[in-house]
Amino acid sequence: MSSTRAFGLTRTSKGFSLTRTLKVFKKDMAMGPRSPFFLYALVLPVAMTVILQLVFGTLFEPKPRLGLVDFGDSAVSAGARAIEGIELTFLDDVETLKRQVEANDLDVGLVLSADFDEAVRSGGKPPLELYIGGESLASTRIVLDVTALDLIRAVEGSVPPVVVELVHLGDAPSLPISARLVPLIMMYALLIAGIFVPASGLIEEKEKGTLTAMLVTPVRASEVVAAKALLGFVLAFVMSVVTLVLNNALGSRPLSLIVVVSVAAAFSALLGVVLGAAARSVTALFTIMKSSGIILIGPVIFYLFPEWPQWIAKLFPTYWMIDPIWQVALQGAGLGDVWVKVAIAVAIGVVLAAIAGVLAGRMAEQVAGE
Amino acid sequence: MTGRPASRAAIIAAIVRKDFKEFSRDRLYVFLSALMLVFFIGIFWVVPSTVDESIVIGIYQTGIDELGMLLQQEGDESGGLELVPLASEEDLKGVIAGDLEAYRTVGGDIVTRDEEAGDEKPKDAERVRVAIGIAFPEGFAGPAASGVGTAVTVYSDADVPPEIQGAMKSLVRELAFSIAGHPLPVELPAADTVILGQDRAGNQVAMRDRMRPLFVFFVLMMETFALASLISSEVMTRTVLAVLVTPAKLGDVLAAKTIFGTLLALSQALILLVAVGALTAQNWSVLIVAALIGALMFTAIGMMVGAAGKDFIGTIFYAMLFVLPLAIPAFAVFFPGTASAWIRVIPSYGLIQTITGVSSYSEGWADVWPHVATTLAWVVVLYMAGLFVLKRKVESL
Repeated sequence: MSSTRAFGLTRTSKGFSLTRTLKVFKKDMAMGPRSPFFLYALVLPVAMTVILQLVFGTLFEPKPRLGLVDFGDSAVSAGARAIEGIELTFLDDVETLKRQVEANDLDVGLVLSADFDEAVRSGGKPPLELYIGGESLASTRIVLDVTALDLIRAVEGSVPPVVVELVHLGDAPSLPISARLVPLIMMYALLIAGIFVPASGLIEEKEKGTLTAMLVTPVRASEVVAAKALLGFVLAFVMSVVTLVLNNALGSRPLSLIVVVSVAAAFSALLGVVLGAAARSVTALFTIMKSSGIILIGPVIFYLFPEWPQWIAKLFPTYWMIDPIWQVALQGAGLGDVWVKVAIAVAIGVVLAAIAGVLAGRMAEQVAGE
Repeated sequence: MTGRPASRAAIIAAIVRKDFKEFSRDRLYVFLSALMLVFFIGIFWVVPSTVDESIVIGIYQTGIDELGMLLQQEGDESGGLELVPLASEEDLKGVIAGDLEAYRTVGGDIVTRDEEAGDEKPKDAERVRVAIGIAFPEGFAGPAASGVGTAVTVYSDADVPPEIQGAMKSLVRELAFSIAGHPLPVELPAADTVILGQDRAGNQVAMRDRMRPLFVFFVLMMETFALASLISSEVMTRTVLAVLVTPAKLGDVLAAKTIFGTLLALSQALILLVAVGALTAQNWSVLIVAALIGALMFTAIGMMVGAAGKDFIGTIFYAMLFVLPLAIPAFAVFFPGTASAWIRVIPSYGLIQTITGVSSYSEGWADVWPHVATTLAWVVVLYMAGLFVLKRKVESL
């Protein structure tokens, strides 16, 4: 009875009020930090950046690891330092070197005696004290073996009877894995901040009955939903920018970046309120997210594997919000290059907003019915 | 009315049965448990079972038998080079640039295909991806043998790592020195003295095998969530107090939770280990003990989390606080070499090392017992903490 009357009261407030929406938003901002999702939204991009960039960035592109014990001041050491792509470790004693090679902390270990260079130059053919880790890859062994021999030939001073010219073919080098991981981290930042925070906030209001309490006041259900969307937008925008800063991926066009990040933040926030309005409980929200997670995350996998057919990524709705960020932040594109994709994302956002509006109305009716 | 009092075992068994019934009603966890199990088993069998440890090199050379033999010898000896002979320098450039596709036929011949020109895909042939190649000029051996400088071109895709590009240049120079009869300026050691540890060239531990402990970890983790959720809901709805009104004592409830959590996690871990082919006649006893210890560890964590979590979100939040650090050793397995000291003190480290050692490196009790002992010690600490926290929580209701 009272809730019906209360809902009757809300009907007396005519039209959508931005002021009331902002008041609800202010309340959500004040209460937000108490929610674990809010904290997740703040912590996750930082944690994922650290884990994925520092850990997996090196996992996918391991470098051959050469250990050196140099008892003199060999030119081989100096030459090794100048070689690109090899992880070099200098050690003080042979036992440590052998232990590290055996433990697979190094792929190959090389010991250079104090008079090594002199012996090579004088044709003394000193023994090569080289150790190879049993678990090192055959390709890594070849790379380090021939590189070491080449360095020793250089010490010998012999001129090779061949001139080797290196010619690069194909396109420019593709982006490193560390850059290709950025869309994945961005997607998680958007998922948690833009989708989970507003969705769980809305569900919590329903579960705890505070939504009913709010609707006793002149606040309308659509304003509550709009406030949640605004919270998701602000948080998603801030955390997206933080993620890009952490990953050193701000690109060279700040204005374009602000536009595409804003669109992505709005897209995810609208999806968040749709899910929040549709789900009856947090458990249901988790079930939806678990079962539909691959649809949300799907497109970012294609950045990790550029050899896969990239058109498949376009089948995922979230592709249209994440790809403009990828293009602007990491490929140097401007708005002129991505406007079609941005327009599609905006169109999907408009549809989501319409659905959110319908669901907000249904939610209000449900509350009134209770 | 004055029937024979139920034994402690019967009471505990009744509570365990109730817990299983309650768990089976929680569709979310039943669904997620089954889904994760199927997902991990599926992923395991999809991930490649071998490690590709060779560099594929396209070669164009004519009339240099000695060179061909030298290269082939290097490839055969090391197992790290896969040679792809191409008919012309243009073919070599086309294959590396991606304009042509190279295929190896059943007979071992290499054929190229220009897809844009409408060439048919060769039948019964396997695609070979060539990213770097060497074009030797005609009559290369003559000037090289006489020590006269000649030019060789190494073609490389821009994505080839710099160390491989550099190594190819070094390889060409070394071949030229060899043809010219210029011996190495050092005495090479005997092959059997330079390999330290078990030589796994050609027999590397595949990514699939390295994933086993991670999958076991995830399955155990999932059951932590399930147990924690069950406990937190019993605490919040005070069902646990209703149980204590019966002849059941708090100790019975705690024992039942331990048995329920352990059975739940152990059964799933064992299903996974069997499904991924980890259990063998030699290692089954170690792996079952490891799975049991792991199940106890995660049950203890489930007790702590369940006692602390007030609702679904709270349970997830606290569980993640425990589970994320414990996951680190499972990820560390993917990296070569010794784990850092701080990783080695994480409670799950010994468990992961045991599963890795037994399932991937054919280790036995003698090799892994220190890890088993360390993990067991951690389990005792965590279990006592779990019991204490849950007991306190129930007593405070």
